[in-house]
Amino acid sequence: MTMIFGVPAAVLYGQLLLGLINGSFYAMLSLGLAVIFGMMNIVNFAHGAQYMLGAMTAWLLLNFLGIGYWWSLLLAPLIVGASGLVIERFLLRRLYKLDHLYGMLLTFGLALMFQGIFTNAFGSSGQPYKIPPLLSGGSNLGFMFLPNYRAWVIVASLTVCLTTWYVIERTKLGAYLRAATENPMLVQTFGIRVPRMIMLTYGAGVALAALAGVLAAPIYQVGPTMGVDLIIVVFAVVVIGGMGSIMGSIVTGFMVGLIEGLTKAFYPELSSTIVFVLMAVVLLLRPAGLFGSKPEPAGAAHQEKLEIAGPNPRRQMIAFAAMAALFALAPLVVYPGFMMKAMLFALFACAFNLLAGYGKLVSFGHSMFLGTAGYVCGHAAKVWGFTPELAVLAGTAAAALLGVASGWLAIRRSGIYFAMVTLAFAQMIYFVALQAPFTGGEDGLQGVPRGHLFGVIDLADPVNLYGFVLAIFLGGFFLIMRLVGSPFGLVLKGLSDHEPRAQSLGLDTARYKLVAFTLSAALAGLAGSTKAITSQIVTLSDVHWSMSGEVLLMTFLGGVGTLFGPVVGAFVVVAMQNYLASLGQWVIVIHGAIFVLCVLAFRRGIVGELIAFAGRRTNRGGAPAHSGPGH
Amino acid sequence: MAETLTVDRLEAWYGDSKVLHGMDFNIRAGEVVTLLGRNGAGKTTTLKAIMGLMERRAGSIRVDGAEIIAAAPYDIARKGLALCPEERGIFSSLSVRENLLLPPALAKGGMTIAQVLDLFPNLKERLDSQGTKLSGGEQQMLALGRILHTGARILLLDEPTEGLAPVIIQQIGRTIEKLKALGFTILLVEQNVAFASGLADRHYVVELGRVVDEIPGPELDARLDTLKTYLGL
Repeated sequence: MTMIFGVPAAVLYGQLLLGLINGSFYAMLSLGLAVIFGMMNIVNFAHGAQYMLGAMTAWLLLNFLGIGYWWSLLLAPLIVGASGLVIERFLLRRLYKLDHLYGMLLTFGLALMFQGIFTNAFGSSGQPYKIPPLLSGGSNLGFMFLPNYRAWVIVASLTVCLTTWYVIERTKLGAYLRAATENPMLVQTFGIRVPRMIMLTYGAGVALAALAGVLAAPIYQVGPTMGVDLIIVVFAVVVIGGMGSIMGSIVTGFMVGLIEGLTKAFYPELSSTIVFVLMAVVLLLRPAGLFGSKPEPAGAAHQEKLEIAGPNPRRQMIAFAAMAALFALAPLVVYPGFMMKAMLFALFACAFNLLAGYGKLVSFGHSMFLGTAGYVCGHAAKVWGFTPELAVLAGTAAAALLGVASGWLAIRRSGIYFAMVTLAFAQMIYFVALQAPFTGGEDGLQGVPRGHLFGVIDLADPVNLYGFVLAIFLGGFFLIMRLVGSPFGLVLKGLSDHEPRAQSLGLDTARYKLVAFTLSAALAGLAGSTKAITSQIVTLSDVHWSMSGEVLLMTFLGGVGTLFGPVVGAFVVVAMQNYLASLGQWVIVIHGAIFVLCVLAFRRGIVGELIAFAGRRTNRGGAPAHSGPGH
Repeated sequence: MAETLTVDRLEAWYGDSKVLHGMDFNIRAGEVVTLLGRNGAGKTTTLKAIMGLMERRAGSIRVDGAEIIAAAPYDIARKGLALCPEERGIFSSLSVRENLLLPPALAKGGMTIAQVLDLFPNLKERLDSQGTKLSGGEQQMLALGRILHTGARILLLDEPTEGLAPVIIQQIGRTIEKLKALGFTILLVEQNVAFASGLADRHYVVELGRVVDEIPGPELDARLDTLKTYLGL
């Protein structure tokens, strides 16, 4: 048997082929993302779900209407693309004047809804889809066996990618698209219906994802969750390549696939994380991505301001004391287990809000801090025999360390890129947790002892445990409250408003961001550690991206950038989970729907809307309210 | 001659701040009319409001009697209006040729591309360059040239002389004279009084979002002192 650097040649070629196949899908999906982003400034989080919809549509067409592969290749992209037109027309169109993050949040909500609905209907397991007879079998190339279908996928993907590139870069239609990407208003004055063009572009981008889905159907299992993990990898690809260039997306997609294949051949342990490692390296050396990218606008101006609540320390202290009293007495009427869970999630959400609300750095990967801290705390308590307070400290410290490391890289980007980078890092941590020996993998870390606080107070006693959680929540919340009102908090708000201006005042903004990131990570870790002690179990769901989604949901539902909003949001979401648990996957659909609703109708969240309402009442007779964006 | 563009009590806002406070003026077919005024007087905003680029506007804008105040920019273009924007608006991701050919012909009677290139021979040799690699003067010619083949009859030119060398400014001036001779109606926004004075049939002086004076072309020299007070020169 021929060996290449200690790897059998057949294995190497096999993995390279797999890499090319994966690369084909990365390229098609990141291409679609780039086209959509260029035109609409929206990071289409639903792209993975739309890829899944393409595959599911092909499967449904086959199983219910008897329509085969070749027709599906045409029909599924048309059907899913048409649904994209509807989404653009009725949802996304309302967001163009807002911060780009809202687009990402809304499409995240859509992705949850699609996934939840299809899981309800067809279960979460994958379904096989037969390779069309014309492409079954394979050919022996002498050095390896090449299945015909796989060859077809590579050829088809290359053709689609290069055709898309040609249309955009070399045709008149492409000239319209490029011009509208640069200056849509001016293009309108030439008599071109830019809104319609944007709608069709989104439809085309979505159709491209669906086409990739149909191509993927015979290779991977067709199931509702097939797009989720893929889209996170594609985000990493996008960060590596930069979204500015069409050819860049294609080249990066194939390149990343090949590198992944090589890693599988030579060092399989790293194969699921190599993409994220690559991303980290690119962030370090060339933060704008290999092929440059559209510069991120300074932002500002569109965030609805919540100054009415103003930092009034006395009122804050009163509210804080009221909350403390309320939570201390709550177990008399509410199930204490619920209260503890909600308080810990509230602390998690407050930590997230410190970064997202005040620093305007919206992380899509905060689960990594919650989960890592939980694992470390659980391990320390269970294996090393730490007392609970030391175990919690260890967990928190681990989260803080992870915060320093990931934050150091992540703060090189802002806005949507920051969101994608944090998501990718969290996914990397997820894979580490899946494989590392001490996490218990799929089973989780079970039977974490509660132990004796300071070696004296028995946390097995429910009253003691409740007091412990209450103290930690109130302590964490108090810290955040004081931080936000401190000069540090003011700097944070200032630099999120206008970073260059803050820099011109002589502030080292990168350092402030890193400190905020680390603090947020540590506090999220505090919540995660305490959760490990109270629930006595740490599972993969604590590090999963859906946990990051939940904390986003809590914070945005309650009111991002308000002090008490995340607490309210956390209680609502946890209550929903408790009381709607019987609905199963529908809870995810509801989560998704809440995202969509929040983004469309009340971006201030519950507490934010209340504050704004109170402000309108006191301000009545002042300047008339006006909904247009500031200039 | 009939009025071809009539602007009545035009108001426009940027967010909460009102910028145009009732602009009133009109242009007759075949005329060259300028809006003169200081920085921030509302001249560019007026052009943007006419083209439908202001998010909030009120009043009346009529083209040949047809109301366009509520129309979308792409429909306004179909009424025969075209804008040569401030800072030229050349697309950097498009070649010169693509920039030139980008605006579709919406009506008959536009120039052919060959005629446009005869008018601006400099562009001929640079057709395959990136749009923004051209010099400022060439970019200005490109911005002007690309709206000449669309069939638009009313051209809104926003400070075509801004930042250009005197010899280029002269060339632009001669081009505008040619366009007038060809029957185009031109609304010109300018700060360069010397440039405008030789070209325009009439001048409107804009201050704080209103037309405060109208000066017929021939009277401009006689009233130069008044104008200078308006402009703060």
